[in-house]
Amino acid sequence: MNRIQKKLQEDKKLLSIYFTAGYPHLNDTVSIIQDLEKNGVDMIEIGLPFSDPLADGPTIQDSSTAALKNGMTTEVLFSQLKDIRKTVSIPLIIMGYFNPVYQYGVEAFCKKCQELGIDGLILPDLPVDVYQEKYQAIFEKYGLVNVFLITPQTSEERIRYIDAVSNGFIYMVSTASVTGSQSGFGDVQTEYFERISNMNLKNPQIVGFGISDNKTFTTATTYTKGAIIGSAFIKHLTSTGTKHIGDFVKKVIS
Amino acid sequence: MKLKVCGMKYQDNIAQVAALQPDYLGFIFYKKTPRHFDTKIPELPENIKKVGVFVNEEVGTIIQKVNEFKLDAVQLHGEESPYFCSILQSTTLLSRPIELIKVFSVLDGFNFEILEAFENVCDYFLFDTKGKLPGGNGYQFDWSLLNHYPSTKPFFLSGGIGLDQVDEIKQFKASEASKYCYAIDVNSKFEKEPGLKNISALKEFINKLSDKKMQNYNVDDKGYYGEFGGAFIPEMLYPNVEELRQNYLKIMAEPDFQKQFDQLLKDYVGRPSPLYFAKRLSEKYNTKIYLKREDLNHTGAHKINNTIGQILMAKRLGKTRIIAETGAGQHGVATATVCALMGLECIVYMGEIDIARQAPNVARMKMLGATVVPALSGSRTLKDATNEAIRDWINNPVNTHYIIGSAIGPHPYPDMVTRFQAVISEEIKTQLKTHEGRENPDYVVACIGGGSNAAGTYYHYLHEEDVNIIAVEAAGLGVDSGESAATSVLGKEGIIHGCKTLLMQTKDGQITEPYSISAGLDYPGVGPMHAHLCKTGRAEFMAITDDDAMKAGLELCKLEGIIPAIESSHALAIFKHKTFKPDDVVVMSLSGRGDKDLQNYIEYFKI
Repeated sequence: MNRIQKKLQEDKKLLSIYFTAGYPHLNDTVSIIQDLEKNGVDMIEIGLPFSDPLADGPTIQDSSTAALKNGMTTEVLFSQLKDIRKTVSIPLIIMGYFNPVYQYGVEAFCKKCQELGIDGLILPDLPVDVYQEKYQAIFEKYGLVNVFLITPQTSEERIRYIDAVSNGFIYMVSTASVTGSQSGFGDVQTEYFERISNMNLKNPQIVGFGISDNKTFTTATTYTKGAIIGSAFIKHLTSTGTKHIGDFVKKVIS
Repeated sequence: MKLKVCGMKYQDNIAQVAALQPDYLGFIFYKKTPRHFDTKIPELPENIKKVGVFVNEEVGTIIQKVNEFKLDAVQLHGEESPYFCSILQSTTLLSRPIELIKVFSVLDGFNFEILEAFENVCDYFLFDTKGKLPGGNGYQFDWSLLNHYPSTKPFFLSGGIGLDQVDEIKQFKASEASKYCYAIDVNSKFEKEPGLKNISALKEFINKLSDKKMQNYNVDDKGYYGEFGGAFIPEMLYPNVEELRQNYLKIMAEPDFQKQFDQLLKDYVGRPSPLYFAKRLSEKYNTKIYLKREDLNHTGAHKINNTIGQILMAKRLGKTRIIAETGAGQHGVATATVCALMGLECIVYMGEIDIARQAPNVARMKMLGATVVPALSGSRTLKDATNEAIRDWINNPVNTHYIIGSAIGPHPYPDMVTRFQAVISEEIKTQLKTHEGRENPDYVVACIGGGSNAAGTYYHYLHEEDVNIIAVEAAGLGVDSGESAATSVLGKEGIIHGCKTLLMQTKDGQITEPYSISAGLDYPGVGPMHAHLCKTGRAEFMAITDDDAMKAGLELCKLEGIIPAIESSHALAIFKHKTFKPDDVVVMSLSGRGDKDLQNYIEYFKI
């Protein structure tokens, strides 16, 4: 069983953190991952930066631009992660856009992920039908979980389709927006979380977009398995650097 | 039928010809011809056979050349005897097996009996025109003589074959005389000078003789043009794009929609735009040039054809808010215009840098009631404006329609935009019939950034075999300068703004910044339809530099009294680089007027 699948079976609400590889400094990747695990984070999304991140707001885009400027590339990231499994045991996911993966070669990329101990991928602009037709067999060959997004506008039929193709969790986008653009949840979100929960999907849901602190984490995980924090963590890194990661995590899961 | 290109001489030229995948390349080892080969053969694809051509040469020399140049075939072009051939066939001194081709020169008649002695000592015959020189005389013999060909040995047909012989070759191929014709051999008719082959002419020849049935160049059910296109979008955009995909064809087919669209194009845009015979320009370049005057449309360019169509579409989908991206501001103005016309809210995203350099268009949009939002991320130009518009759409999934201005984006955008712009080629067909008595020109030409005016100009000609398509990209400061937007040369297959297409990117898959003096061509990709036209060879792609474009723009001013947009000037510049025949009919889309570019022209020419 894949580390993600195992983690999802644990009897607790999961906190997953996203950060952009190569930000704030090129070689921060490994220490950020180690610190996040040490402070009790359950799962990590390592952002492979892209020049044109359509689904992201200014916070993640700026961190991506900075990371690329710092010299981050697919090869550099892979070399940084070479020994990651010697020190880190929580699930690791690479999150990025499809073009860099496509240029690396989808199979070569997946193979490399397996070698390094990466457990899954999130590629928001790789549509589920293309994945199913062309790449699912490759992902499965290398034991990778692929995670799809759903939004409040996703139809029930499509959610069922995505659930059927998924083999880990479903990334539930809390609201119609790009990343980092809202604070707090209202009744609309609660209703949406409840609606999806009542569908009894085979894959658990983890909520992303709009989680930044203990309050939003608690609300988001009332109906779901866990939550993902991205922009708020990047902002924390921008303002306080990499030395105070524990403070951030504690504020969320205290 | 195979193709042999003979008389190769120059390294770069050899590589360019090899890229066209001929079956044989010929190198002449005969000192008395200007095509005498005396350098190295570059690395060639394995499936191209290298032929050494010799005239009454000594066996030892031939063997030495075969071994040195790793030749796959030897062509004997002199009075070599059957015995000579048999020595070459049986020698153990050759480092590799060779095919042996024996040449016979034919003019008014030919005694086929002499072939018999060669039947068992060579692999192919080659029939060339008898002339002063052993080969390369540049004229044909009477191919009907081959009706009396008594052998079953496959032969090469040679002698004065050029583009003018395409029809004759097709007839020949259909005739009994071609039964054993194995290959066509070309040389001097495809040269700029002896030994230097004309790549575009060869390409045209290969395309015209291709046995391939015309492919489908339209979008398929899944939104692909060949391998390009599709909808690579985040799930957040799926409902919007899917709603459009399910409805666009249905809505466009509604008689009410068509009526309203046609009416607005006529009364509001001023269509049909004239097809103007550019007499003085034609005289200068000794061919027949027609300009499709999209510059005379309301708002000054072809862009309005698409925005009219899409605003009607948005209305029918019940949308109340319109967003758009713009580079130079032309599409922004065209969008703001139709929003004013329909009373819809309009937000235009424009790169901060473009806002600074296109102040008049920013003012126009504001006067028309639009909100212009600066894109502050990335390079702060068109690509980033597009990113911002897409983000807006993600944030406003229900009430907003995104009017994409080019033939790019996720399916169905490239197809929808193309269909709205197709009015251009629809009109050309009718208008050319009046001018020339025929609907099909020999060439249709358009400049191409994302490619919406090009898509409209080509649309009704895509499947007309006799119409050549030329796409003109911006080379910027030069294709190899690092400051260019020539996607067909510099681009690689990848994903940008929701579709798979050719795009300029780093090895790592990061999208790179293009450059062109023309804001409208300054885009790192091309629409997926154009990527397909490029990949299949259906369209010929040319890249024009800033300098050539600016000069061609000024030339049109002086010769025809028309100030073109710098985008369109790129198309006009091809006449300096490509020679057309006097009776060729070349229809070129003059996509926009140059008013918006005055400042650029002023600065460039120090007016």
